[in-house]
This record gives sequence, C-alpha cells and structure tokens, in this order.
Amino acid sequence: MSTAQPRVIALAGNPNVGKSTLFNALTGGRQHVGNWPGKTVEKKEGWATFDGQDVLIVDLPGAYSLAAYSVEEIVARDYLLRSRPSAVVAVADAANLERNLYLVCQLIELGAPLILALNMSDMARGRGLKIDVPALSEALGGIPVVEVIGTRGVGLEALRAAILRRDSTPPPLRLTYDPPVEAEIAALQRLIEDDAELARTIPPRWLAIKLLENDPHLAEQLDSRPALRRAADEAVARLTEAFGDDPEIILTDRRYGFIGGVVSRALDRSAGSAETASDRADHIITHRLWGLPIFLLLMWLVFQITANVSAPLIDWVDGVIAGPVTRWAEALLSAAGLGGGWVESLLIDGVIAGVGGVLVFVPLLVLLYITLGLLEDTGYMARAAFIMDRVMRLVGLHGKSFLPLLIGFGCTVPAIYATRTLENERDRKLTGFISTFMSCGARLPVYVLFAGVFFGAQSGSVIFALYLLGIATAIATGLVFKRFVYPSQEPRAFVMELPPYRLPNLRTILAQTRERTRGFIRNATTIILVSSVVVWLLGALPANLDLSRFDVVEPQESLFGSISGAIAPVFAPAGFGNWQAAGSLITGFVAKEVVVSTMSQIYTADATAEEAEAAPPSLLEDAGEIARSFGAALALTAQELVNIVPRTVNLIPGAAMPEANFLGAAPEEEDTAALGLALSGAFTPLSALAFMVFVLLYTPCMTATAAMRHEFGGRWTLAQMIYAALAAWGAAALIYQGGLLLGWGG
Amino acid sequence: MSTTLRQVLEYFESHQGAVSLPQMARTLGVERATLQNMIDYWVRKGRLRESGAAACASCGSAAGCPFMVALPRTYELVSGGSSPEISPPACGCRSCR
Repeated sequence: MSTAQPRVIALAGNPNVGKSTLFNALTGGRQHVGNWPGKTVEKKEGWATFDGQDVLIVDLPGAYSLAAYSVEEIVARDYLLRSRPSAVVAVADAANLERNLYLVCQLIELGAPLILALNMSDMARGRGLKIDVPALSEALGGIPVVEVIGTRGVGLEALRAAILRRDSTPPPLRLTYDPPVEAEIAALQRLIEDDAELARTIPPRWLAIKLLENDPHLAEQLDSRPALRRAADEAVARLTEAFGDDPEIILTDRRYGFIGGVVSRALDRSAGSAETASDRADHIITHRLWGLPIFLLLMWLVFQITANVSAPLIDWVDGVIAGPVTRWAEALLSAAGLGGGWVESLLIDGVIAGVGGVLVFVPLLVLLYITLGLLEDTGYMARAAFIMDRVMRLVGLHGKSFLPLLIGFGCTVPAIYATRTLENERDRKLTGFISTFMSCGARLPVYVLFAGVFFGAQSGSVIFALYLLGIATAIATGLVFKRFVYPSQEPRAFVMELPPYRLPNLRTILAQTRERTRGFIRNATTIILVSSVVVWLLGALPANLDLSRFDVVEPQESLFGSISGAIAPVFAPAGFGNWQAAGSLITGFVAKEVVVSTMSQIYTADATAEEAEAAPPSLLEDAGEIARSFGAALALTAQELVNIVPRTVNLIPGAAMPEANFLGAAPEEEDTAALGLALSGAFTPLSALAFMVFVLLYTPCMTATAAMRHEFGGRWTLAQMIYAALAAWGAAALIYQGGLLLGWGG
Repeated sequence: MSTTLRQVLEYFESHQGAVSLPQMARTLGVERATLQNMIDYWVRKGRLRESGAAACASCGSAAGCPFMVALPRTYELVSGGSSPEISPPACGCRSCR
C-alpha cells in the first residue's frame, strides 16, 4: 500500500440496487464492517487498488433520498456533508432508472462529485429498455455514466477508470425552480454565505433548499442562528401562501418533472411494451366480470385435487394404520404380557385410533398445501385479494380485509393476528370476527371423511361448496354488522403492488409444504395425543365412577357417553342427535381434527369389539400387502389426477367428457374401513351434510379463541363464540329440516 | 399538465376500493415508475401507509411461519393517528408455539 493520501469513494444508492454486490466486487476481501457512530446502521468500508492507487470505498446505507425521513438517509447525508469524499458513485438499478434518479437528483443538488453506475443493465435490456448512456450523461449535466453488471463483474474496469478520472468538482448542472422559489433560495443563500463557518460546512444553495423544505434535522442544527431560522420560516410562509401548498411538495414536484425530462431524453421503452405479460394477463384474471368466476374455478380445482386425488392415499394410510400397525402393536403388547387389558385398550382404542385417525389425512394436507403453494408462488393469491375487494366492500369492509381471510384457509390463528395489518379498529374486529368462518385446514379431514363416505365422487364439489358457504357466512355476518353494529363507513382506496406472474418454484413449494405438514403432524402427536388419551379415559370410566367397571363399561354408559348423551338432544333438529356426534363436537373445541380422532376412537372401539377372530397375517405378508396396496393407491391417484380434466370440462352445461379408467374395471368399492361403515350407519347423507356445516361454522378451536381474546378482548370473543355456535346450529338445522321437507330423506 | 404529488394524494382521498399500480398510473396519465416514486414520497412523509408482505408480521416467528402467505404490498391513506401499534411476539398459532 502506498503512503499517499488515499482517495475516498462513497457508494450511494437506493436499497436493493446491487450496491453491496458492487462493493464486494470492487473491494474483494479487504473489508471492514462496523457501525456508523451512534447508530445501529451497518457501516462497511473496503480497500481497493486501482491502477496502483489505493482507494478507500465506503458503502453508504441504502436511501431513497437525502431528506431526513429515515436514519439511513441521515447517516448517508451527514457522511457526504462532513467527509466530502473524492467521488460519489451513485448506483442505480438500470431496470428501474426513473425510480432511482430521485436520489441522483438530490446528489446533484448537494454538489457531490458524482459518477452514475447503471447496475443490472442486462436486466434492463432484457425488459426491452434501451438507455442512451451519452444522452443520460448529458441530461444529468455531463456526469460520467457507466454501465455495469455487479454480479458478473462486467463494466468494473470502466468504473474504476471513471473513478480515477473523476475530480472533486461538483456537477455543473443546477436544477432550477419556479422564479418565486428561486428568489427565496437566493435570499437564504446570501444569508448563509454571510456566515462563513456555515457556508464552509454545508453547500449554501443546498442548505437554502433544505430550509425551504422544513428539514427538521438541519433546522435543529441551526438553533444557534435564530436570524437564519426566522428568515427561513418567513420564506416558507410566503411560498405556502403563493402556491397554496407546502413548499416541500412544490420542490419535490419540480424534481419529478426534471427526472421525467431526463428519462424522456435518455430512455427508450419502445423495444419493450409498456404493458408487461403480467399486465396483459391481469386484464382477464382481475377483470371486473371474469375475475370472480376464475377465482371460484381455481378454488374448485384446489378442492377437486385435494379431496379426490388424495382419497386413494388416505385409504392406503388408513389401511396400514388400522391393519398392520394395529396388529403389530397388539402382538408386541401380547409378547410383553399386556395383551387384552386396559393398556391394550389405551394404546389401540385410544392412541392408535385417535392419533392414527388424524394422521391418515396427511396425504390430503400435503396436496392442499402444494396447491395453495402453487397459487401463492405464481402470484395468483395476491390477485385473489384484489378480486374480492368488491365483495368485501359490499359488507363495508376494506378490500384488504380479505388478506387475513385468505390466511384463514390455512389456520385461523395467524388470520386473526393478520388483522393487525388493517388500519382501523372496526375493520380489525369485524375481520377477526368473520375470519373463523373461513374453513381452516384442520376442518378439512372432517369434510373428507364424511364427504368420502356419503358423497363419493362428488366429495370434491361438496367440500368446495362448504368453503363457499364459509365465505358466504362471513359476508352475511359482515352485512349484519354493517346494518346493526357498525354503521356504514365507506372504505377508501388502496393501491396494490401486484407481483408479476412467474413459474412456481417447486423447491420453495415443497419446503413450505414440508413445514406445514410437519406442523400438522406435531399437532397430531401433541394436542391430539393428549385429547385422545383424555377421551379414552372418560370413555373407560363409568358415569357413576364405579372403578370396578373401568374399561368394560358400555360406551354410552361411560362418563364421556353420559355427558355427550345429555347434550345430544340439542343437535336432534340438525339430524345428528346421537351421543357420538355430540361428544366429537365437544372435543373438537380443542382442535378441529379432534372431531375425527374422537369419532375414530368411538366407532372403531365399537367395531373391533364386533370383529370376528381370524388368523393374523405374518409380518412378511403384511409388508407385501403394504407395498402392493401402495402401488394400487398410487395408480388410483394418477387416475384421479387425470380425471380432474373431464370433471372440469363437464362443469360446462351440456358437456359430457368421459372419465379415464386406465386401471381397467372400476376398482372394487373398498370402503370397508370400520369408521366409514359405522358412520354410514349412524348418519344419512342429509344429516352428514348438516354435521359438516356445523363443523364449518361452530366455535373455533381453543387456540383461535385465545388469539381472539388476546386481540379483541373477552367480551368480543364471547360474542363471537355464541354467534358462531348459533349460526352453526341454525344453518345445520335449516339444511336438515329443509332437506326433509324437500323429501331428500332422513 | 403533469401529475403532481398532490394529485396522487387526492386520488387516494377521492377513490374507493382496490386499484393496481398500473391502473392508477393509467388513470393519472403518469409512468408507473414515477407514480411509484410519488407514492414512496407520501409514505416517507407519513401520509400513506405501506403494508408489507408479511401478514401477521407482529409475530416473533413470522419469518418461519408455515402459514404465512406471501401477500402483496399495499398502500393506503393514513387516517389521523389510528394506525395500530403492533404489540410484540408470540402469536400463539400452532406452528409458532
């Protein structure tokens, strides 16, 4: 390193323009990272040698302007004022030139010895943007402009050469304002120049402009110069009166005007369309008329895929858990001398039936998470909120309220917390209130179980209808609130930055699916395990607590059966007034999947008691059967996937596209699962539908209830719980009684 | 006459419902990038509120929450002082516990 005073070069630029990449490319490993004095903002400095000369490069914090709106802007500005670097390299994203020029414009006004580095110029060209570099340089007062691609090291030599050539003279360009503004700037500039110490520290014209902009940070520094502050205040008052607006806005508008002029001279957009492919797609996808049907069709497809395609795999997991896994557990317990007693009952009828009853739905959840992930990753999910805006406004809610509701399709708890992104308390409380009607992933196993047993191939459509009913209930509730609780308040505009459509990244979707599924399994092995054991315990205890009949009591005479039986008549008008359904709904408050695990425990316990003894297969036979049935399930899954096409086409009135059946003869209906058989005996299609509607609408799980109480208070939560229970009961009873009246059978 | 900052703010005040950036740019007759600049300005001034992609961003586990949906960035008017104070972590959702 030479002993001569090194040149100091500052890198300035907006956030995310590749400034750090360029800094790394210029300095290599010779870096020092610390903090700016008194600030938590990271300071990076690095050494480089250009043509034998040592250069110290300082990476300034990313800033959009040199105003005092953020700590990053203040740090960058103070550094430029105090340290006066030999040159300032303004790094701009060439693909977003116009947005980046505001900072460049402010650097010119500050009188910084500027070089403009147009980074990512390849991406700009890819978007059909052609930048006339000499014209840009000329429009900016002759400052050097260099095209670079920081990530590939392209253009670095030219940039180094420009840095070495740049002397510290400020750009000759002066941005001029309207005459009255210029007159005030000139007057203040004279006052500043009269103060030699001040004029030496801060460029006088720039300070005059900042004072007219009421820059609070600089005004504070001038507390010891009351005459200058008074003069600035008076100038601001005169300009405000003359223009009828804040001088800062007048000055900023002028800068945008200047930038517009620069861009019109130097940027040729003719090679690229002003409309991107995403814009063109949005003309259809977010269209006022077509947007909603497209949204509904996509949601229909999601539930066709999740419900029908996953069905063979669900049956396979169910078969494995109910068959080999249960037999192996029994064999192990027998070998340990624990067979036939309450321990076996706890493990088989409690843990395996309860937890296993929920785990069989893992394939379903995996497919749901993948399909929702696809919608998210392609950029469609953002459009869904945009499309639903008009629907939300119907109920007096801000269109943004649909964003938390969308999250509710995954889980109600984050949906409730997501209401924090809404501006006013009314919107937050109402959105939180109706968010519980958006069917969360935990309710899906209940629908799939019942729809699979009672509606067969139509189960996807039934589940889709349930989701729509949830949305409709949310809207109806909003209308009730708009009429009776919160008088109409017209929502204002909000602007959405819709992300461009893109091909989904499979790796991201799979990673997200893995995390979400892991959460579901964690839930099954914690909350559901505990509730299964509790349900088993209550089911084993006689109602009169006579311990001599522990685990031998008839289920309906158990403590659980008695409590459930006492509540069951309440549900009779809805068609499911049996103790099993009532008991499952009670435990469903813990988590909605527990409805399934409880039913699995109750009904499979009944069924296994009736099962005939048969010679169990060997371990090898079991393993062979698991592999064979898995292959068959995969083949059926593929067939179901293919059949999505004819089912979708057949939505068109008059269309009758045949479904594929490449597995030969229709597979034998193998719904011999104990739970399915028991349910078909205990429910009718009509009462099953009423039951699913009840599960959709009734009081959310305890975690969601706690979240609501945390966000909106106890009274609001209690009101929501009562409202949801009444709405669920009312809707279920209406469906059942209405169905009976229409002769759909009980 | 070119679009001014004041017109951008007035647009927010006088319109209802969701608008995409290209739609608003077309209505105001301004380049999208310029409009974005102007919106940025009002955000910095505190007159518009920018909501980020993180939906329940208040949660301490937001970054790793599997239920977090990538939502779009939105801008809206800040109505006098009603902006909610986000209270910290622990949303308590199943995945975050």
